[in-house]
Amino acid sequence: MTAHAHAHAHPVKRYRGLMDWLTTVDHKKIGILYLIAGALFFLVGGLEAVLIRIQLIKPMNNFVGADTFNELLTMHGTTMIFLAAMPMLFAMMNAVIPLQIGARDVAFPFLNALGFWTFFFGGLLLNISWFAGNVPDAGWTSYVPLAGPTYNAGHGVDYYVLGLQIAGIGTLLGGINFMATIINMRAPGMSFMRMPMFTWAIFITSALIVFAFPVLTVGLVALMFDRLFQANFFETTSGGSTVLWEHVFWVFGHPEVYILILPAFGIISEVVSTFSRKRLFGYSSMVFATILIAFLGFMVWAHHMFTTGLGPVANGLFSIATMLIAVPTGVKIFNWLFTLWGGSIKFTTAALFGIGFIPTFTMGGVTGVMLAAAPADYQYHDTYFVVAHFHYVIVGGLINGIFAGLFYWWPKMFGRTLNETLGKWFFWTFYIGFHLTFFVQHFLGLIGMPRRVWTYLPNQGFDTMNVVSTIGAFLMGIGTILLLINVVITSFKKKDAANDPWEDGRSLEWSIPSPPPEYNFKQIPLVRGYDAWWKEKMEGKKEMTPSEPVGPIHMPSPSILPFVMSVGLFIAGFGFMYDKLYLAIGGIAVTLICMLLRSVFDDHGFHISEEEQEKGVHA
Amino acid sequence: MSSNQSTHEETRRHREEGPKKHIVAFVLSLVLTLIAFAAVASGEINTTFTYVILVGMAIVQVFVQLSFWMHMKDRGHLFPILGIVFGAVVVFTMVIMAEYWVWW
Amino acid sequence: MSAHDLNGALPHEPEKATLEGRNKILGFWLFLGAETVLFGTLFSSYLALRHNIGDGPPASELFKLPTVFAATMILLTSSLMSVFAVQALHQKKVKPMIGWLVATIVLGLGFLGLEIYEFTEYIHEGHKMPTSAFSSSFYTLVGFHGAHVAFGVLWIGLLILQIMKKGLTVVTAPKIYVSAIYWHFIDVVWVFIFTVVYLMGKVG
Repeated sequence: MTAHAHAHAHPVKRYRGLMDWLTTVDHKKIGILYLIAGALFFLVGGLEAVLIRIQLIKPMNNFVGADTFNELLTMHGTTMIFLAAMPMLFAMMNAVIPLQIGARDVAFPFLNALGFWTFFFGGLLLNISWFAGNVPDAGWTSYVPLAGPTYNAGHGVDYYVLGLQIAGIGTLLGGINFMATIINMRAPGMSFMRMPMFTWAIFITSALIVFAFPVLTVGLVALMFDRLFQANFFETTSGGSTVLWEHVFWVFGHPEVYILILPAFGIISEVVSTFSRKRLFGYSSMVFATILIAFLGFMVWAHHMFTTGLGPVANGLFSIATMLIAVPTGVKIFNWLFTLWGGSIKFTTAALFGIGFIPTFTMGGVTGVMLAAAPADYQYHDTYFVVAHFHYVIVGGLINGIFAGLFYWWPKMFGRTLNETLGKWFFWTFYIGFHLTFFVQHFLGLIGMPRRVWTYLPNQGFDTMNVVSTIGAFLMGIGTILLLINVVITSFKKKDAANDPWEDGRSLEWSIPSPPPEYNFKQIPLVRGYDAWWKEKMEGKKEMTPSEPVGPIHMPSPSILPFVMSVGLFIAGFGFMYDKLYLAIGGIAVTLICMLLRSVFDDHGFHISEEEQEKGVHA
Repeated sequence: MSSNQSTHEETRRHREEGPKKHIVAFVLSLVLTLIAFAAVASGEINTTFTYVILVGMAIVQVFVQLSFWMHMKDRGHLFPILGIVFGAVVVFTMVIMAEYWVWW
Repeated sequence: MSAHDLNGALPHEPEKATLEGRNKILGFWLFLGAETVLFGTLFSSYLALRHNIGDGPPASELFKLPTVFAATMILLTSSLMSVFAVQALHQKKVKPMIGWLVATIVLGLGFLGLEIYEFTEYIHEGHKMPTSAFSSSFYTLVGFHGAHVAFGVLWIGLLILQIMKKGLTVVTAPKIYVSAIYWHFIDVVWVFIFTVVYLMGKVG
């Protein structure tokens, strides 16, 4: 109410076309931007993966050189985790969370846009390294001393450090934003224990982002100071410690894998429950398990470092803590199975991905427990067994989850439902391709093939399995092409998706048009229980009970500042890298001036009147 | 509406705090700081015990400042408290890491 | 607009009167949670590396207690000034509030001056960024804190100008409140810096 008071009579310039996308602060449009950018980087990372697999198809291959191979594997890992998986999750957070909690936008729409653009320019900076001829090649973990100035004198790792630093700002802002949104902006009646499971997952994920990303920030600053200002954090000759980098990286890195997988858990919970047409089994135990996983996620980082030699006490502690995580994760797996049990399951593409997720992720989890046994880990460490494990968790878990979510929420995001036949073809090629690629890698690892090697000698028993693995990679590639074809075909269809296109929607996003109007809810709904929309439907209602009268709706104004600020950081990044002080200072100055402008000129926003709402305006 | 609000405000203003408790917090912080500096400056206390005093004084002072100056003891601060506490838990594990597991 | 310039019309605790204000305060607290971890990581790096002094002077010779004590007093007093500013904000007394804010940043500038003086002294004594792991982690930790103080001075300075122009409103009040929380947080971090870095360094 007070929000209206200081927003009268300020005509706001509304942009069209490209400028609309550059200046938007609407969470739905930012979600689409995240999706496009994330998908773009996903294709780049996928291409890198295919090149890696072609190189490994036969022993003593020289399709790419050893240096290029190192660059490919580094960029594949970094791109997929930071620039493909996370943005696609952010796409779904943006597209869905405000709708699920019955809000008109996120808590900080301006910061939301800023988060997207810093991520995008950070990712761009990282990938420009391919054209600059200085590509990061120290692995996505960038271990020192390999990544230090002594052994990596070029600018390759500088691109890694600065690209991730800039992209990391965006992620941290996103985490703070979504936490504040979920705490403060829920519709009347939506208590914490009535929130949809996806909202819970994103709430906990955001908390992990807030507490884990600053650790990466400091690690990257230290590495940057070592590389650019002759500091000695990791320089052993001057008293630095290489083990310190491992610790700092994994104190961030382990929560990071939970940042990736928890949203997938949330998506699967929604999809499984919707397409079994049943209430999610064990809702409160799901919530508790999510919180427990997140907490334990911070206490297990050293299981990545068993072979570093921390001694039996540390290894024992971290081993037990790691195995403990299997308990809440198991709770989740069984809850999904019990949700499916006795449900009238509808096998849509989203449901196939959701159901396919469960056994695949369980396999990844089980190999995780195997790796958690410290003495056994001495055998598995740095072999293809580890590669198989984390691809089962990340591709079999997270990427399956993302695809389930995309098919499920596509009509809500774009107003068009993806083609189901093509979708099922996509599922089966991708799913079979995935298992072909990575299942054999378990055995490659167990018989001793080390990871991150450029090539291998013949007749060690590696040859056949590597061929199988590469064929699988191509199948995944074909699957991805099918998805792209599906997206293109669908975008030519009529925008005819119903409010509740799956007819079994349970949460608030299915109670409003697809795609929703700019202001989401004409009247903020009143939530009367868990599965709020399902509850109303079961009582024969056609829409949610409103919690407020119809009235003018206050909206934040679009702004170009987030874009300009990110360009400033992007320029400053080059300045730091190539020792051009004027560029560094100039870039930072651009960013600071934008912050100043934002602080000095209040954003009064604008109102959408009732008549405009009748017309159903979309910006 | 505005008149309504101002009477409401009138009743609340009586409960509003004076500068007294902030000055008390300041003096408390001052004393804690002085104890810490004195423990080091005297040079007569053994190293381990000095460490204990230093860390103890710092933690107490932080509690004083967080609760009085940053209003953490006021209503509606559940999430700020959770945020800082969980941050502190992460920091605590990292300090253990730094002390015991970097140069094991 | 004019409604907000009148002190009488301002609601009780104007910083929390609007959803935007409440969002800002909550979001800022979450940011401080992140900052806690940021400084915690810097502290733990310092703790891990502090004994590796290479050819540089050891901490016990380097640090001068009187300078550190002066810096501590300045920042502590500055934090008190800032809490008085928030109290004036709650009482809707704009002029005293500006006065307290000016006192806050003047003391902040004093702290920065002292830190710059201290760093130049150290550099003369051969304690530079590339000297050792100890020096690198020292400058990074204390420098990060100093950068936070500098940013705070600029920020609060800008807010003073805004208050003079726009008055105390439900838009400006949350900004003042949040900047005060930030300033106290910087002081809290300093409590750990003088304890862990300087006093423990002095003890050895």
